[in-house]
Amino acid sequence: MAANVSALADRLDADSLDGLTTSEAMGPWRLFWRRFRTNKIAVVGLVVLILLILTAIFGPSLIATNPNKLDYAAINAKPSAVHPFGTDNLGRDTLARLVYGLRVSLTVAAYVTVLDLLLGVPLGLAAGYFGGKVDIAVTRVGDVLFAFPGLLLAILVAAIFGQAMTDRFGGIGRLMLVVGALSLVSWPMMARLVRSQTLTIRERDFITAANAIGAGNTTIVRRHVFPQLLGLIVTTSTLGIAAVIVNEAVLSLLGLGIQPPDPSLGKMITDAIPYLEMNGLQVLIPSATLVIIVLAVSFVGDGLRDAFDPGSIS
Amino acid sequence: MLAVIVRRLAALPFVLLSVTFLTFIVGYFAPGDPVLTMMGNSRDPQTYANLKHLYGLDLPWYNQYLNYLGGLLHGNLGLSYRYAQRPVNDLLGSGVRVSLQLGLTALIVSLLIGIPVGAFAALRQNSVSDRAMMVPMLALYAVPSFVLIPVLQWLNYRAYSRGWPALPAAGWGSWQHWVMPVIVLAAAGLGFISRMTRANVLEVMKQDYVRTARGKGLPEFAVRFRHILRNALLPVVTVVGPSIAFLVTGAFVVEQLFSIPGIGFLSVQAVQQRDYPVIQGTTVILAVAVVFMNLVTDILYTFLDPRVRVSG
Repeated sequence: MAANVSALADRLDADSLDGLTTSEAMGPWRLFWRRFRTNKIAVVGLVVLILLILTAIFGPSLIATNPNKLDYAAINAKPSAVHPFGTDNLGRDTLARLVYGLRVSLTVAAYVTVLDLLLGVPLGLAAGYFGGKVDIAVTRVGDVLFAFPGLLLAILVAAIFGQAMTDRFGGIGRLMLVVGALSLVSWPMMARLVRSQTLTIRERDFITAANAIGAGNTTIVRRHVFPQLLGLIVTTSTLGIAAVIVNEAVLSLLGLGIQPPDPSLGKMITDAIPYLEMNGLQVLIPSATLVIIVLAVSFVGDGLRDAFDPGSIS
Repeated sequence: MLAVIVRRLAALPFVLLSVTFLTFIVGYFAPGDPVLTMMGNSRDPQTYANLKHLYGLDLPWYNQYLNYLGGLLHGNLGLSYRYAQRPVNDLLGSGVRVSLQLGLTALIVSLLIGIPVGAFAALRQNSVSDRAMMVPMLALYAVPSFVLIPVLQWLNYRAYSRGWPALPAAGWGSWQHWVMPVIVLAAAGLGFISRMTRANVLEVMKQDYVRTARGKGLPEFAVRFRHILRNALLPVVTVVGPSIAFLVTGAFVVEQLFSIPGIGFLSVQAVQQRDYPVIQGTTVILAVAVVFMNLVTDILYTFLDPRVRVSG
């Protein structure tokens, strides 16, 4: 008997040595990074994204120019030594506005993502894992929020509470309102995805096994369900960042986001459109920045998905 | 099939009640006193009470909501806060027509172009023409409308400044005003529909019945049109729902940047004037329209694809 067991153990060892030596030796994160690295576009996206984040964090302190300072001597100016990206219709420095606008966009994206994680993940997990009344409640709330097409609900909330939030809490209040309004339309998606993934995980054998050996719900969720959801959560929130950045720009463009004179990428585009014929660069620069962020985030998201789930590579 | 329709219809009141309630309650908690704003510098208590009563704002919230709901059932969206008691219906009426015409045109354009492009690309999978068509489609899907608009306007301006025939930069009236907004609105849906069609056709091409059709010697066009396309196009019906969500958000941006007097433009104007009933009206109209469109889509799909009836 004992001999049999050790022979079996030897066979298992030999098997794992055959196929999986490198994977076993490397640990999950190194393995993950190795898979991510093979996707060159995703790596480029990651580098661009890190550069943009660093610019948003440190840029404002490196640039001495005030983004709201009017320079009537240089209105709609072409790029020069003083204004590397030129100026807008009020003579404000485009580079400075771009860097501050980038900070606004990325801040909003970061907060909305955190709210998605704090609301969507636990609610979706609870709905999928416990089912029953919890599931019905979460699904119903999600259905109602989904009934509002696109950004409509965010537009409604930002429109009605915008002025009061600005009056009471200033720019920060407005920023928080934008964050709240945008997460209103994004957390139900996260909850829905987490719920459906949890539903399939719940039926797997290792959950039954964990139940059988007497593990409690907390342990099962923490040790067995959540790790399986990690890939989905990371991928969804990364891809969600692209949507949030576009949505924030739409709110700003409609006059519902960050209020003038403070810059935001969406507002910079709208402000510059009437002067398109004179100074197309002022539209091009913030537009290109937006497209670059969205593409970089999407590439990183796709790379993460493939790296988390090698089976999904077609 | 009847059971599916009945079940969907039974869920409808809950969604409609919640959508209207959410819209109402956001307006109910709107900060500031709309009546005081309306009265300007006057502080006459009698006028205040009269106005409060006229708008039904002196009632408790549940009465206000029931009144609002009763109004909605009669197609009445309430009174404007801004324009001396004008009904919201008057203010939004023409806008609804404009937005609807524009949105439907864009939807039809994106279907008419997106389906053939996606199908053609799939039949030539991985060829140069596949890539040449699908890469622009991906770009259309990825580029936000507010980036596409200035690009089009700039191109248009370049054409104009060289004396070539050009379109009006913005505004509403003649057919020329339609061209750029429809292109922009159709773009996002186009990218979505073409990619979905391509994926569906590729999926159907792998099916056994397609091999059987080829095996029994059917001419290639019969295989393609009768067996592949007809089956692949079924799921495209379901994308009409999500496309409308694109169109609604798109309409706000497009109407704003092209100064088109549609429902989105009017409600952004209402935002600036703090005319909340107008914004609520827009929200209710659009949300209810989408709820019904999704219902029609689902029913249509059940009708078109018998397999859904069994599982649904």
